[in-house]
Amino acid sequence: MVLYNAPINKMLVDEIVDAHVLVIGSGGAGVRAAIEASRYGGVVLVSKTIAGKGGCTTMAEGGFNAVLRDQDSVLVHREDTLKGGAYLNDPALVDALTHEAPERIADLIRWGAVFDVTDDRQVAQRPFGGQRFPRTCYAGDRTGHEMIMTLLDRLDATDTRLYQEVSVIDLIKDENGAVAGAIALDRDGSLMLFRSDATVLATGGGTQAYDISTNSAAGTGDGFAMAYRAGAELIDMEMVQFHPTGAVYPYDARGRLVTEAVRGEGGILLNARRERFMERYDPERMELSTRDVVARAIATEVLEGRGTNRGGVYLDVTHLPRERIEARLPVMLEQFLAYGVDIRREPMEVAPTAHHIMGGLRITPECRTTIPGLFACGEVSGGVHGANRLGGNALAETQVFGKRAGEFAGRSPERNGQVDAGQIDEKIHMLDAFLEGTVSPATVRKDLKLTMWNQAGIFRNAPDLRTALAHIRGLADQRLCAASTANLLECCTVRNMCTTASLIVRCALLRPENRGAHVRRDAEKTDPATSPFCHTYASISREGIERREVPA
Amino acid sequence: MKEITLRVARYDPAVDDEPHFEEYTVRVNEGARVLHALHAVHDEHDPTLAYRYCCGSGQCGSCAVRVDGTPGLACMEEARDGMTIEPLDFPILKDLTVDMSPVIAKIARICPAPDAGLPTQEEIEAIKPLRDCIECLSCVSACPALQVTDFAGPTVLRQEMRLALDPRDSGDRITDAIEKGLFYCTTCKRCLEVCPKEIDVPGKAIEKLREIANRRGLTLPRHQEVAKMVQETGRSVERTKTTFLEQVPEVIEPIGPVRGEVGFFVGCMFNGRVPQTALDAMEVMKRNGIRVIVPHDQVCCGSPLIRTGQTSYVADLKQKNIEAFARRGIKTVMTICAGCGATLKNDYETPFVVKDVTEILTEYGIELPAKLDITATYHDPCHLLRGQGISEEPRALLRLGVREFVEMPTQCCGAGGGVRSGVPEEAKALGAKRDECIKATGADVVVTVCPFCEFHIADCTDTPVKNLVTVLLEGYKKKDAERKGSA
Ligand SMILES: Cc1cc2nc3c(=O)[nH]c(=O)nc-3n(C[C@H](O)[C@H](O)[C@H](O)COP(=O)(O)OP(=O)(O)OC[C@H]3O[C@@H](n4cnc5c(N)ncnc54)[C@H](O)[C@@H]3O)c2cc1C
Ligand code: SF4
Ligand code: SF4
Ligand code: FES
Repeated sequence: MVLYNAPINKMLVDEIVDAHVLVIGSGGAGVRAAIEASRYGGVVLVSKTIAGKGGCTTMAEGGFNAVLRDQDSVLVHREDTLKGGAYLNDPALVDALTHEAPERIADLIRWGAVFDVTDDRQVAQRPFGGQRFPRTCYAGDRTGHEMIMTLLDRLDATDTRLYQEVSVIDLIKDENGAVAGAIALDRDGSLMLFRSDATVLATGGGTQAYDISTNSAAGTGDGFAMAYRAGAELIDMEMVQFHPTGAVYPYDARGRLVTEAVRGEGGILLNARRERFMERYDPERMELSTRDVVARAIATEVLEGRGTNRGGVYLDVTHLPRERIEARLPVMLEQFLAYGVDIRREPMEVAPTAHHIMGGLRITPECRTTIPGLFACGEVSGGVHGANRLGGNALAETQVFGKRAGEFAGRSPERNGQVDAGQIDEKIHMLDAFLEGTVSPATVRKDLKLTMWNQAGIFRNAPDLRTALAHIRGLADQRLCAASTANLLECCTVRNMCTTASLIVRCALLRPENRGAHVRRDAEKTDPATSPFCHTYASISREGIERREVPA
Repeated sequence: MKEITLRVARYDPAVDDEPHFEEYTVRVNEGARVLHALHAVHDEHDPTLAYRYCCGSGQCGSCAVRVDGTPGLACMEEARDGMTIEPLDFPILKDLTVDMSPVIAKIARICPAPDAGLPTQEEIEAIKPLRDCIECLSCVSACPALQVTDFAGPTVLRQEMRLALDPRDSGDRITDAIEKGLFYCTTCKRCLEVCPKEIDVPGKAIEKLREIANRRGLTLPRHQEVAKMVQETGRSVERTKTTFLEQVPEVIEPIGPVRGEVGFFVGCMFNGRVPQTALDAMEVMKRNGIRVIVPHDQVCCGSPLIRTGQTSYVADLKQKNIEAFARRGIKTVMTICAGCGATLKNDYETPFVVKDVTEILTEYGIELPAKLDITATYHDPCHLLRGQGISEEPRALLRLGVREFVEMPTQCCGAGGGVRSGVPEEAKALGAKRDECIKATGADVVVTVCPFCEFHIADCTDTPVKNLVTVLLEGYKKKDAERKGSA
C-alpha cells in the first residue's frame, strides 16, 4: 500500500483512511471478502450499520444450498439453478457457486457455526423450492444470523480495521478511471475519505425501493446506484424476486418474510375457499414450486377474488406436530405470536413481497466489475441467479463470491493513480445543496415505494413502466432537504433508491418477454431455454438487451 | 389509524448538558410497534431524532430502547399511548442511540481448535438455546449486578457457556467467566424477563458455568461452606434458636371448620433463623380454616446449591423432600419462602402441586383483618415475581392489611444467588439502592414475602421490614383487641 501523496486538501474531509483493500458492507459477502482479503493485509471494512446488525444476511432464515451427500451432485445443483433461473444465469458463475458452496460451508463449520446436524452427525439439509434434492443446510430458522455471528468471530481474528455506522455515499476514481476508494459519512455527517488499491462492493440488495419488501432498512440499493454513477455496468435489474409469502398484517409488518422453510417443513397454501390452489398452477411441485410461480399463483388468487379480506391467502402448518414447529420454525412462531397469531393453532395470512434483486453489477467469476479496481459480490452483483433465485442460493453466493472477491481484490497490485480533489468537491457541493433543499426525503421515499409497487411490481406492462419511469425521474430531481448534517445520509439514500428504481424500470422496459420473475402482461412468454434474449444491461453510457444465437 | 402521544428522551451531546424529554402526538396504524411511532416522530415532527433499527423484525438487535423503563426491542413492542421511550442504560451517543461497542467487545469469540470436527446433534441442541441471542443488550441494560459491580453482563456470560458447550472451542471459558463476574449474578432473572429471545441466562448459562467451576474446585469458599453444611445437617442455614420444626406438631388443625388442607415446606431460613414468621404463617392458616401438615423429615430444597453450581448432592435432597410429602398423600405443598417455592416449582418434578402462601390465601379467600394504621410498600422478591410469576396476590393481600399501600420500583435486593454470602460488598450496594427506593416512598414499613430479602433488606435500611403473614396476623390481633374493647 502506498500513501498516495495525494494533494487532497485535508480541510475538505474530516478523516482520510488508507487501505489496500476497502470492503464496503458487513453482510455475509462483505465479511467473507474481508476475511479472505486480510491474508494480503491492509483491509478496511466500512459498514452503514453495526457489523452483524445490518443488511439481509442477518435476517436470512431458511438456509444455505450446498451439495454434501453422495446421492446429490454438483451437476444437479447446477441444473436446478439454471432451470430455476430460466437459463438467464451466467453459467460460469453458476459453476463457481455450485462447486464451491460445499467448501464454503465447511469453512463456516470449521470456524464454529452451529448448523443443525442429523443424528448420524452430518450437516442436516431440508428441501427448498425448485430443487431436486434436499440440499439446504440450516441453523433452525436463523441461518443467516448464525453465519454472520461466525464470520464476525473469524473476522475478529484478522487485522481488518472496522468502521461501523459509516456510510459510503460514492465511489472515487483516479485519473486512470480506476476506482480509488470511496467517500463516506459518519454518524454525525462528517465526511471521510477512504483510499484503496482495490475496492469490494458488498452492499447487498435494494427491494426497499418497493412499498412491500422483506429487506432490512439497509436494503436501499446504495451499491447499484454508486457503481452506476461510477460508470459500472449492471445487468438484469428488472429481475426482482417477489417472495410468495410475506406477512399481510398488521399494516406496519406487511411484507415481512415468512420463510420458505415453512413450506419446506410441510406448510400448505389455501385460498379463502380453503382450496389448495397450487394444484392448478404446479400440480407436481405444489407449494415447493419455484418462487416466481408461487408468487404469481398467490397474486392471481387474490386478484381474481379468492383471497382473504386482507388481500392474502392462508399458509397453514397446523397439521404439523407442535414440537416440530417449535424446533424448526422458532423465529416464525415468535414473530407471529408477537402479533397475536399462534401458528401452531391457526394459519398465517400471506401475500407476495419484494425480496431479492437478482440483477446487479456485471461480474466475472473473479468478481471483477466492468471498471478497474472495483470488485463486487453478494446481492449487489448480478448473473448468478438469472431470472429467478432458488431459496438458499443467496447465502451460498455470499460465501462463494465473498471469498473470491476478497482473494482477487487482495491480490490486486498497488494502484498508481491519484484521487483528484475535484470529485470530492463535487460531492461536497451535492451535500451542501441538501442542506438547502426543501423536500422531505421521507415524502419522496414513500411516493417512490408506492410507485414501484403499483407500476413495476409482479405484473408489468410497458405503459405503466413508462409512467413509473417518468415519475421516478421527477422524484430524483426533487431538491431533498437535510435537517442536520446527520440527515445528509438520508438524502443520499433516497437518491440511491431513486437510481435503483429507475434501473429496475429501465431494464424492465428493455426486456420484451415473460421470463422468470419478470412478467410483462403485454409480452409473449418465451421458452426460457430457447429465448433469443440474454442479459439486459445498463450503464451511464449505454443500455440494451443482449441477444443470443445458440440457446442455452 | 389512531393517535398516540409519547415522550421521547432527547439528547445531543453537542448542545445539551443532559437528556430531556419531548412529547409528540403522532398517528400510527393499528398494531404499530414502538419503532413505527418513532418513524412517525421522525417523518412528521423532527427528522433529527436519532434511533437505530435495521431488520424491523426482531432479528438484528439494533433497536432496543427502554419503554416505560423496561428494555425491549422497539420493532417488537407494541406502541402504547402515553409511553415513555428512553435509550438503554449505556453512554448515549445521541437521543436513543447508545454506545454498544464496549459491551459487544466483551462477548467472547470462539477459538476453534485446528482439528475440530462437526459437533454431535446432542451438542448442537445444547448450544442452540444460548445461540439465539441477537446482542440487543436489553439484558445488560437491565441487570442489577452491573449497577454496582464490574460484572460484564448476562449475555457475555451466556456466550461463555455457549462456547463451553462447543467441542470446537479451545478457550478456557471458566476462567474467563470468573473474570467476567460469574459470582456476581444474584439469579434475579431480570435478564430473562426482558430478553426478546427468552434466553434463560441465569438458569442455562450462569448456574451451569458455576457447576463446571464447582467441578474444578473453583466455587467460592463461602459457598463451599454452605454446601458442606447441607451435606452434614440437611440444612443450609445455621440454627440460631429452637427451630420451627421442633416447635410444631405434624398436623396443625385450624380453628373452626376445615376449608382446606396443605402440606407445608418451611425452608431453612424460616426453620432455623426466623421461625417466628413461619409460626405467624401457621396462625394465619389456622384462622382461615386451612389444615397444615408439616412433615418433619423435610430438608433443604437445594436452592443455595443449585444457584451456586454445587449440584452433586441435589438429587438426594430432592428425593428426600418429594418422599416426605408424597408419602403423606399431600396434594398441595405450600411454601412461604420465595426461593424454596421457585426451586420446587422450577427445578423439581413433583407428584404434588406447589403454591406460594399468597396463592393459597388468595384462592381460599381470607377473613378480613383490621387494617394496621401504617403506610406500607412492597418489595417484590425476585424468586416470587419472576421465579413464580406472582405479583398481584401479595399486593392485594397487603392492601387488606394496611391503611395505605404505596408502590416502589421493582429491583433485586442483592441477597440471592449466593451473593449475600459470596460477594457481600455487592449485596450491600444493591441493598443500599433498595434503601433509597424505600426512603423515596415514605412508607413506615417494607413488606415482603421472602426470608432472604427480609433479612437482607433489614440489614440495609432502618425502615422496619415485615413479612406479609406477620402483617396479616397483627391485623387479626388488632381486630380481636378492638372486639374485646367494644364488648
Ligand atoms: C428476510 C430475508 C430472508 C432471506 N433468507 C434467505 C435464505 O434463507 N437463504 C438464502 O440463500 N438467502 C436468503 N435471503 C437472501 C440473502 O439473505 C441475501 O441475498 C444475502 O444475505 C445478501 O448478502 P450481502 O452480503 O450481499 O448483503 P447484506 O447482508 O444485505 O449486507 C449488506 C451490507 O452492506 C451495508 N451497506 C449497504 N449500503 C451501504 C453503504 N452505502 N455504505 C456502507 N455500507 C453499506 C449494510 O449495512 C450491510 O452491512 C434472504 C433475504 C431476506 C431479506
Ligand atoms: S439473573 Fe439478574 S443478576 Fe443475574 S445476570 Fe440476570 S439480571 Fe443480572
Ligand atoms: S441475551 Fe437476550 S436480552 Fe441479552 S443481548 Fe441476547 S437477545 Fe438481547
Ligand atoms: S430492528 Fe432489528 S431487532 Fe429491531
